[in-house]
Amino acid sequence: MAFLFRNKQKNASELVRTTKELTVRLSEEPKPNPKLEEDLARELQQMKVRLQGTLEAEVSQDSVHQLLTLIVQEDLLYLLANNIHKLPFESRKDAQVIFSTAFRYKPVGASDPQVLHHVIQYRPEIIISLCRGYDRRESAMPCGGVLREALKYDAIAALLLYDEPTGDGNTRDLASVNPDVASTGEGVFWRFFDWIDKGAFEVSADAFNTFRDILTKHKSLVAAYLQTNFEMFFSKYNTILIQSESYVTKRQSIKLLGEILLDRANYSVMTTYVDSGEHLKIVMKLLRDDRRMINYEGFHVFKVFVANPNKSMAVQRILISNREKLLRFLPSFLEDRTEDEQFIDEKSFLIRQIEQLPSAPAPPPAAA
Amino acid sequence: MADNFQVLEELGSGSFGKVYKAIDRTTGETVAIKQIDLEDSSDELADIQAEIALLSTCHSPYITEYRASFVKGVKLWIVMEFLGGGSALDLLSPGPYSEAHIAIVCREILLGLDYLHATGKIHRDIKAANILLTDAGKVKLADFGVAAQLTNIKSQRMTFVGTPFWMAPEVIQEAGYDFKADIWSLGITALELANGEPPHAGGHPMKVLFTIPKNPAPRLEGDQWSKEFKDFVAQCLIKDPDRRATSKELLRHKFIQRAGKVEAMRELIERKQMFEAQEENTTHLKYYEETMVDLSPKTEEDEWVFDTIKGKPTTIRPIHHTAKRRKTARIPSTSAEACASMMQRMDLNSAPLGNGNESPLRERRRPSSRKSSAATAIRVSSGSTPTARRVSNVPKQPLGVDLSFGNSPSTVRHFKRVSSGERRAALSSNPPPNGFQPNPQAKTFRLSPPSSAHPLDTNDENSPPAPEHPPLPVTKEALYGRRAYSKVLDSVFLEAHADSASPHQREAMSHLAQAWGNLDQVDPQGEFMLLKAMVDRLKGDAKLASALGIAISPAQSPTKHNTKASDSSLSGTTVHGTSTTRIRANTTTTAAAAVTPAATPFQTPAGTPSGTTSTSPLKGPKLLLAQNNPHLKSHRRRQSAFFVGGDKAFGLDPFAGGLDEKKLPGYVDCGMEQQGLLADILYGQWMQGLKTRWPLS
Repeated sequence: MAFLFRNKQKNASELVRTTKELTVRLSEEPKPNPKLEEDLARELQQMKVRLQGTLEAEVSQDSVHQLLTLIVQEDLLYLLANNIHKLPFESRKDAQVIFSTAFRYKPVGASDPQVLHHVIQYRPEIIISLCRGYDRRESAMPCGGVLREALKYDAIAALLLYDEPTGDGNTRDLASVNPDVASTGEGVFWRFFDWIDKGAFEVSADAFNTFRDILTKHKSLVAAYLQTNFEMFFSKYNTILIQSESYVTKRQSIKLLGEILLDRANYSVMTTYVDSGEHLKIVMKLLRDDRRMINYEGFHVFKVFVANPNKSMAVQRILISNREKLLRFLPSFLEDRTEDEQFIDEKSFLIRQIEQLPSAPAPPPAAA
Repeated sequence: MADNFQVLEELGSGSFGKVYKAIDRTTGETVAIKQIDLEDSSDELADIQAEIALLSTCHSPYITEYRASFVKGVKLWIVMEFLGGGSALDLLSPGPYSEAHIAIVCREILLGLDYLHATGKIHRDIKAANILLTDAGKVKLADFGVAAQLTNIKSQRMTFVGTPFWMAPEVIQEAGYDFKADIWSLGITALELANGEPPHAGGHPMKVLFTIPKNPAPRLEGDQWSKEFKDFVAQCLIKDPDRRATSKELLRHKFIQRAGKVEAMRELIERKQMFEAQEENTTHLKYYEETMVDLSPKTEEDEWVFDTIKGKPTTIRPIHHTAKRRKTARIPSTSAEACASMMQRMDLNSAPLGNGNESPLRERRRPSSRKSSAATAIRVSSGSTPTARRVSNVPKQPLGVDLSFGNSPSTVRHFKRVSSGERRAALSSNPPPNGFQPNPQAKTFRLSPPSSAHPLDTNDENSPPAPEHPPLPVTKEALYGRRAYSKVLDSVFLEAHADSASPHQREAMSHLAQAWGNLDQVDPQGEFMLLKAMVDRLKGDAKLASALGIAISPAQSPTKHNTKASDSSLSGTTVHGTSTTRIRANTTTTAAAAVTPAATPFQTPAGTPSGTTSTSPLKGPKLLLAQNNPHLKSHRRRQSAFFVGGDKAFGLDPFAGGLDEKKLPGYVDCGMEQQGLLADILYGQWMQGLKTRWPLS
């Protein structure tokens, strides 16, 4: 039987239909079925080769177009996204290639990624399903790869950020989004905190990369989102990520926090953030952590509080009551960074600022 | 997770960690565990993650199998399959391979490469040291530290990574390369196995980078080799990558077709074991020990005072509170161990001041004195190392592992966030303290002293290592002097020495170099002043100045000195008068290295990786968003209005200036900053390593 298959070049519609049938069967199969997996693996590999060619052979744009049209028609991507964890090892990578090729695909002369366009408009569920790939170790990496690829487009970031559960199980249409309405915290974006915090190392690390992309790629979109959802975002960020038990999560998230705050697009988010005394406390504790890189990353957040000329009363109070301690602490803080001139300059700047603090908190000029 | 493994002896040190043999308690299987100290690691977390991501998507009998990874404390544990046969380089220690054995190894490598290439991966560091064998003789590719995953099978890479001797010309020329680069490296590896070392192995590693693209491709010479073998090497070593064979084609090559079974490799493994037995290796096994956690109770003073806890009696706490603060989280494992650690702590306390931290310090430092290459290389014993083969008259080092790595060529890793050219970054970033390449002529070989000014080695809580020389006042001038020496002068001397032909010239040159080296050790400040005076005088003489290319540049301005970008650049520094002129550290020609105003004095930090910026293709969905989403559209308008307004306010706001200044260094640079610094340090270490390898006398 197998040799018959190999010799016969299936046409595109047959290929897509068989793949779809097999995927449906796989998803319904309660226990592993090696024969079925093998068949499906062959189809997916075939599909991958037809989409991206091999090292030796090119593929024609026409056949790619034809194949992708069929894939979209049959809604194969949705099926694959939901079942990627059930695929055999190599097939997961093949599926990833199929997704990325499809998402990247632009017809000759067009500037629009056609398939992705379609997905955003009519089948956003695919994107949400890909995120749910983080639920399982098997699917986390292929799904993450596809997501980050797609996140080059702001519509994808918007889909993830503004996702809300709807009664009917369908994914929310972007058209119905009002960015001024605060998120309920039930959407897929908020799941990332769990995936990062609770996942196995590989899953957590990959989820964090995607999380970072969501928050840094499309600045104005994110700035607006963070303003609306300031409280919920930072309370989760502080409790789950900054204070994570995992060294990697902790360190990466402090660094990302610094990046977010110091991004010009997030100016008003930053000013709100550094007004909070609670936030300052968290950051000052990082300076005392017994891990040097945590200290270092924490420093880059701490400096924003101190450099702010319009410090809030709460922040001033904390800084002033710790002035002596800070002035004793900072000169020897990470003092072996002797070649890090920028760090040294910044540190001495902070020391000067702290020295110059008034003896009692004064209302910031802006508020006066 | 960590409790599932019984960690046994150390197998070796890799480019960013140590490798231990361990037993998986759940299955009883022997595994290899690579432990990376993330606090000490110069590599970005992202690079390590990339390696894991790449490994975890490989599943092939020809590639070392990845099992799992997890974080324990500040260490990342990567569990891999255990390969007891050693590396193909280890097997070289008793002598070169026979042709039959080479054929087997090449075929197995090709099968591995075929798998990688078909899934859009490039290994980029194929060499004997990265080929590991099982006890049964199975051959596997290892060390994916610099491997690349292409998103599209057809795309190309530009990054300059690999190990110089094995690098394909197109990689060195940075003109874009693909999976064919691995094929070249395979050809070089075949030569390595046949001759005992790669071509140009005796040369200066920097020079090799010029030689490889310039010279005709190396060929296999010698009557003992068959025509087929020679042709196979020639097929691999075609300088034009487009004409070079693919792994699939090479698998059909006659040389490969007639290769025997992998079981034959056991002959070599046994040969090596015999060899080691004869060498009378008293290997000191190093056993794994938990890193001591420093539990020094922080003085009460340490705590910040926050309003909220004011009400509680925070001021003076009895000592027992410190015990409470010893959270188990800080003690990595079971309570029994915690207990032991605490006891230890008490001991430490009673020791005289300053010694208390000794042991954790040492523990921490060891992994950070980066040895080299072969990250996953698993060496069964140190006797099989190249050192034993190549530098036989060297007294044995007490710690076998160190030997194995000093001599094995290191892999140039790619530093994503270093601003100046990738090549320079890569060149200067990774190389370990000792050794960059196998040099059979190397007369002495010693580890660079642990005190080799590596600021990151020392824990800030610990006292600095005792200096070799009486402590010098650290002035800016002294730092510049050191910098000038380690970055520029030393290599210039080396180059000049290598370039001079007659023994007289060489001797004179080496005297000068030695004298200068002495000066640098003793008085870097004076060294700098001397340099400065020389440059100033030279500039005074118009003819000399123009001949040397140091005519007073109009770009002289004192502000340059403070340019932040300089931190992350890898350039060396020479100071004339008030201005700093950056010169490329590894310019190789003597004249150029002496004083050349750099073409690009300001390196703009490459903050964003190229692929990440969203540009025109954005149009599509963006448009869609706007069309279909009135809310979002109006929201956009508001947003942009806000943004413009915000921007304006920014300009007027007095805060803006201050913030901006903070922002520049803080944001774009903060990671890169580190990287630049690290690169500088590592470069210095590398130069130090070179110095010990090519002694000037």
